[in-house]
Amino acid sequence: MRKLKILILEDDIIEVMKLNRTISSLKLNHKIIEANNGEDALKLLENKEELPDIILLDLNMPKINGIEFLSMIKKDPMLQYLPIVILTTSNNHKDRLECYKLGIAGYVLKPLKYKEYVSKIEKLLAYWSINELRIK
Amino acid sequence: MSNSEIDILKRALAREKAARKAAEKILESKAYELYVISEQLKESNSTLEKLVKEKTLELKGVFENIIDAYVVIDLNGDVIKMNDPAIGLLGFDNSNKASNVFSIVESSEADNVENAFKRLLYDGYLTNFEVKIKTKSNIKKLVHVNASIILDDNNNPIAAQGIVRDITASRKAEDNLIESENRLASLILNLDSGIVVEDENRKIVLTNKKFCDLFDIQDTPESLIGMDCAIASQYTKKLFADPDAYVEKSNDIFKNKTTILGDELTMIDGKILERDFVPIITKNESKGYLWTFTDVSIKRGFRKSLEAQRQKYRNIIANMNLGLCEVNTDGIIIMTNQSFLEMSGFTDAELIGKDAISIFTDLSEADILVEENKKRNKGESNSYELKVKIKSGEERLWLISGAPHYSINGEIVGSIGIHLDITELKMLQLQKENLVIELEKSNDELQEYAHIVSHDLKSPLRSIDALISWIKEDNKDKLDEVSIENFKHIETTLEKMELLISDVLEYSSVGFSDQEKNLVNLDDVVHGLIDMMYKPDHVKVEVLNKLPILTGDKTKLQQVFQNLISNAINFIDKDQGFVKIKVEELPAHYQFSVQDNGMGIEEKYHDKIFKIFHAVNKSKDSTGIGLSIVKKIVDLHDGKIWLESKPNMGTTFFFTIKK
Repeated sequence: MRKLKILILEDDIIEVMKLNRTISSLKLNHKIIEANNGEDALKLLENKEELPDIILLDLNMPKINGIEFLSMIKKDPMLQYLPIVILTTSNNHKDRLECYKLGIAGYVLKPLKYKEYVSKIEKLLAYWSINELRIK
Repeated sequence: MSNSEIDILKRALAREKAARKAAEKILESKAYELYVISEQLKESNSTLEKLVKEKTLELKGVFENIIDAYVVIDLNGDVIKMNDPAIGLLGFDNSNKASNVFSIVESSEADNVENAFKRLLYDGYLTNFEVKIKTKSNIKKLVHVNASIILDDNNNPIAAQGIVRDITASRKAEDNLIESENRLASLILNLDSGIVVEDENRKIVLTNKKFCDLFDIQDTPESLIGMDCAIASQYTKKLFADPDAYVEKSNDIFKNKTTILGDELTMIDGKILERDFVPIITKNESKGYLWTFTDVSIKRGFRKSLEAQRQKYRNIIANMNLGLCEVNTDGIIIMTNQSFLEMSGFTDAELIGKDAISIFTDLSEADILVEENKKRNKGESNSYELKVKIKSGEERLWLISGAPHYSINGEIVGSIGIHLDITELKMLQLQKENLVIELEKSNDELQEYAHIVSHDLKSPLRSIDALISWIKEDNKDKLDEVSIENFKHIETTLEKMELLISDVLEYSSVGFSDQEKNLVNLDDVVHGLIDMMYKPDHVKVEVLNKLPILTGDKTKLQQVFQNLISNAINFIDKDQGFVKIKVEELPAHYQFSVQDNGMGIEEKYHDKIFKIFHAVNKSKDSTGIGLSIVKKIVDLHDGKIWLESKPNMGTTFFFTIKK
């Protein structure tokens, strides 16, 4: 399985811990890059040599929210092709529709139960590990 | 013979001679006398002869020259002689002596003529004989004949002579006269006014049917002739509202003998009669007195109601809150009402005779008025809004309803406008529109807010759940049973709380329609739903009849059934449970029912259960919002929801959805 470089955009520390713990408990070898807000994430993405294979994006964030961030990425000629999976609590139809229009690679709802969360992340990462879609 | 004797003889002879001579002389004179007489006779004879001749000539000339036609015929009717008018009248050709008068008689008159001719022969004359003829030139005529027989020396009839006059025209005129008299009589008889003509002694000379009708007299008009009016009025007075005044006034009028017109009488039955009195005077001689009675109740009634209507509309115009302004075809103000003056701030004097456009509008709006005036002049009416400047200089918005104003002759003489100041109204309308926009915005914001709040509330729950999982994992085998049990309680509480948050979000979202209303096949929806739902083995869920296709929001309608069915399942306490779904078609709605044999709901809770957070039986899966959501959705579909229930027997929820 391919080792993925995952950028997680999440302001909730425990959510980040959940991802890290999930990956370690599943003994996966992916690299997690954390960004607590959109600005930090954009800075990280300036380095075009070190672009992530996938971005997990929370919608509900301070300063630049998820959808604003998404639309900025989609305007960038280089970054617009990065697969972005929304990882959110929002089951709001409006949010989903907007993300769909901007172009996303997936939309995953954060479940209440941690066990369920582990299961969803496992499947998500499994899929992207076998995915051959990439620029280089 | 003696001398003496001779002498005697001689003397005798001489005396004889003398006597003879004397006799001769007498004879001679007598003969002369005779001669003279005979001469005289001769003379007078010739004078007479001449006289006779003259008279004959004269007579002949008279016959030939009289204007009337003169015809002499033999006893066979053949014309012997006739004058020029006869030729003209009868159309005979003068040269044709064989003309026969019987040949021009109309065939229908044959018997008549035969009888007349017999009479003529018998009596020797015929007078005033009228006969229809058809002349040789085919013209029908009515002629009048006076004829006599001509006798020969032996008193035998040999011919007949006659004077013929054409009375076609005069008969016609006579007929016309009779006809017009008849017409007049029938006119008087049937006149819509009652008429009485009375003479100096107040006796009725003439009256008509209408009079009898008006005065409720059963007899015919003819039978009233000769009756005394003064006495009659004693009988008829009871028909009038004031009987004595009626009699008194009638007598006064008759006494004064001057024309009275339009005297009004009120009858006891409310009828109003108009009475005219006209003395008929011809050549300074009184011919009687004409009374005319006309029932004017209807006319009077019309006038009265017309007057009332006019007063009504005048009051409306004066008191209505709408400004009224009339202009002529040049746009000059003719009339205004009080309200118009109030709304414009001008006085009557400042407006009448002025050009409406220049007073109330500036250049930008003048075009509208010019355009509207053109429409008025074409006879069109309509309403339009106009920005005007009133006296205070303030700008107001008026709604004007304009209509052309016509003269009695039907020509347009201007226009009448009803004015309503809608400045405030318009402002309110704008405010309303802004409010609606704001409301929509704030609704959107609220919706957004609900989502964010629910997200923010759910995030900590997730974190707590994750943290508890980790504590449990990290301390495996170190925790005692009570702690593990407590962690389980925490997890259940978290789940309950998450459900609560989801339901609240859902409830607040029901009013916001993401989807347009579409045709929904409820049969498919509900069967699909039942297949998908969790059903315990002891509960049977069935749809009893085919559910309809209706217009609505599919997701929300599905939610209604889902909540009701799951509610029903949840509260079944029997060993064998059922949930039955049914539909009934009503005129404007479909009525659905969801029936269960669960624990039932006490009646005192029937209203309460639809209110938010009023779950009757709190349970793990119930937040008390489900039925509130159902009610909200049913309301959105113009329906009603209610229930019938018996504790321990079961509950049936009914709800309607508009077709």
